[in-house]
Amino acid sequence: MAFFEQHIHEAPKTFLSKYVFSFDHKIIAKQFLWYGIIFLGIGGMMALMIRWTLAFPGQAFPVLGPWLFPQTNGVVPPDTYAMLFTMHGTIMIFYAITPILIGAFGNFCIPLMIGARDMVFPTLNMLSFWLAVVSGLLLLVSLLTPLGAAAGGWVSYPTLSLLIGSPGVGQTLWCLAIFVLGVSSTMGAINYIATIITLRAPGMGYFDMPLTVWGLWLTAVLNALFLPVLGAGVLLLTFDRVFGTTFFLAGAAATSGSGDPVLFQHVFWIFGHPEVYILILPAWGIVSDLLSFFARKPAFGAKATALSMTTITFLSTLVYGHHMYTTQMSPLLTQSFMMLTMTISIPSAVFFANWLGTLWKGSIRFHTPMLFALGVVFVFGLGGLTGLYLATVSTDLYLHDTYFVVGHFHYTMAASVLLGGFAATYFWFPKMFGRMLNERLGKIHFWISMLGLNGVFMGMMIMGWAGMHRRIYNPFVYEFLQKLIPINSFVTWSAILMGFGQLFFVYNYVYSIFKGPVASQNPWEVGTLEWTVPSPAPVHNFDVIPVVKCGPHELGNPNVKGKDFQYQTEELVEV
Amino acid sequence: MTNMPAGKLSQNDQGQEIISSVGMIVALVSFAMLFATLMMGFAMFRFSSPVWPPAGMVKPSLVIPSLSTLCIFLSSLSYMWFEKNISNKKGLILTLILGILFMLLQSLLWNQLSTQGIFVSSGIFPSIIYAFTWIHAAHIFAGLGLLIWLLSFALQNINNRARLRVSSVGKFWHFLGIVWFIMFLTIFVL
Repeated sequence: MAFFEQHIHEAPKTFLSKYVFSFDHKIIAKQFLWYGIIFLGIGGMMALMIRWTLAFPGQAFPVLGPWLFPQTNGVVPPDTYAMLFTMHGTIMIFYAITPILIGAFGNFCIPLMIGARDMVFPTLNMLSFWLAVVSGLLLLVSLLTPLGAAAGGWVSYPTLSLLIGSPGVGQTLWCLAIFVLGVSSTMGAINYIATIITLRAPGMGYFDMPLTVWGLWLTAVLNALFLPVLGAGVLLLTFDRVFGTTFFLAGAAATSGSGDPVLFQHVFWIFGHPEVYILILPAWGIVSDLLSFFARKPAFGAKATALSMTTITFLSTLVYGHHMYTTQMSPLLTQSFMMLTMTISIPSAVFFANWLGTLWKGSIRFHTPMLFALGVVFVFGLGGLTGLYLATVSTDLYLHDTYFVVGHFHYTMAASVLLGGFAATYFWFPKMFGRMLNERLGKIHFWISMLGLNGVFMGMMIMGWAGMHRRIYNPFVYEFLQKLIPINSFVTWSAILMGFGQLFFVYNYVYSIFKGPVASQNPWEVGTLEWTVPSPAPVHNFDVIPVVKCGPHELGNPNVKGKDFQYQTEELVEV
Repeated sequence: MTNMPAGKLSQNDQGQEIISSVGMIVALVSFAMLFATLMMGFAMFRFSSPVWPPAGMVKPSLVIPSLSTLCIFLSSLSYMWFEKNISNKKGLILTLILGILFMLLQSLLWNQLSTQGIFVSSGIFPSIIYAFTWIHAAHIFAGLGLLIWLLSFALQNINNRARLRVSSVGKFWHFLGIVWFIMFLTIFVL
């Protein structure tokens, strides 16, 4: 319950206080959204360069190639290739998905959906965004250093990431950038957790919160717990690189008195496995809500969905060892990790069944946000199922570090989260900017993206099954991989198609901010609190703090007169 | 669903108190995870090494670390004394002095280590001692900044807000004391 009511602050007047150094959670959300979309573009371009190199080795990258790589006439050089996949991973995970789903929609949705006027710590919120900007600049500057940016993979395992593997200053800047971003995200997480605990509108118990807020809250908990673990890891890595400590450097004797490279893998994955849930939990929450809103039915088993997401959050902290089966871990330990990993499929199956139960016999409205939400159901199902082969020790020993892994984690982390992010963008755009996005362009965007990304990631899994390693520059110098050239070019053409599809989104987004049709207060006819205020939401959100009287998914009740949904502020009508 | 009237909620002191303690506790849990990770690394090296310290090194003398421990313990006590009556700033000044003394002792320790021939780059044992004390010292540095902020700006009017600031900074300062005590026990004594 709300512990106190925040004051109504006066709207800021100057350009700086209104759009740049704003304390308003809605403006900070938009800043994060732009930040994320810009980095999404950069990371996407890097992905296209990687794909081009794999499908057409030795051919110049069109248009940008001659300008970026003049010394090789536009062909991506091998060292740059390693840099590209490292930076693609880093940018997409930390600088695109995290800002869009957690930074933008976390900031935008939490106060509006729980009936608060702002976050509890607005200054911390602003600081969190500007630290993220500092971190982004550090990362971009590292691209311009003499030996190039970090090139040891996004996991940056030592010894590759130590001075032996990456002598350039780029890797050090990478470590610093990640550390600063960790601080920024932890600040955000503290804010989200405290806001949700203390500022829920009167009458709103935890299970009356929309599932979006549940997802964001659990994400914030994982962020606050595990980003410092990565922080410690990259800090020690920086010390190893700059001050000559030997935490991760095995000496020539390699017995005692020297460091241990595998320790970094432990630290990295203790953070890294919760990180994949950090990325996916907000998307799960958003999808759980949207399926109910557009199927015009109460969310099937909403409480079970919330609880199974909580169970997964807990379990996700216990399974990190499944990333390290091939590090000569004791078989006893690998089997324990395998069993714990498999356990995650139980709560996953619960909420997945709840999603299908929500759709069952619903009168589904196929608006763009719903299409994207259904897309998430499809790709997450595929991604989750292929995870079983990687959780099983015996199959993982074969599949480890192949393109199967790449396909799997792109299905779960990239495809699901990206589609979830688009669903959220299409859904909350009216409340953010007061205008509607174009439905026809949105649907074209969805179908092209869906075809493109399934082509890319399905193709990746097939080539991984055939044994293609994930990080080689030119796989076709190996005889057994030469027959994979056609499928590699198919994947690349799919990637180009998907990249092309995003142009529809960019045009639609930019055009609609200025010229889109003006949105009504509640264009999607749903009852959560953000739709009880005008579009776009006013500076202080709520003139009067609402009192919550029913849950977020009260749709399709025949006894409600005049509409098929109930606002959360209305007394529950018995069925 | 309880039906609480909205009018009952004013911006009251109790609400502010809950918010600042929830925020501070979550922040401290984050800090604790950072130090716990370091300790996990230490434990791994410590238990996998047949002799400790490895590679024929000698442990540094316990004199300076014990003095630092005493110093930070007394600073926590004096801060508790200050928390009892925040209009009397003597306790705060004492805490600040003891904190600065702690930093001086730490730099003495680093000096002594290097005269003993234990340099940052001479293996895993000095890596642990130096890196962990650096990271802790960086936090102490931030803590000293907060104490100076309390002393110079934050306590001009003694009201509820000031009390909350004192108690939040206090949580952080005591936390750093506990972390130091654990480090003292593990990397110096054991």
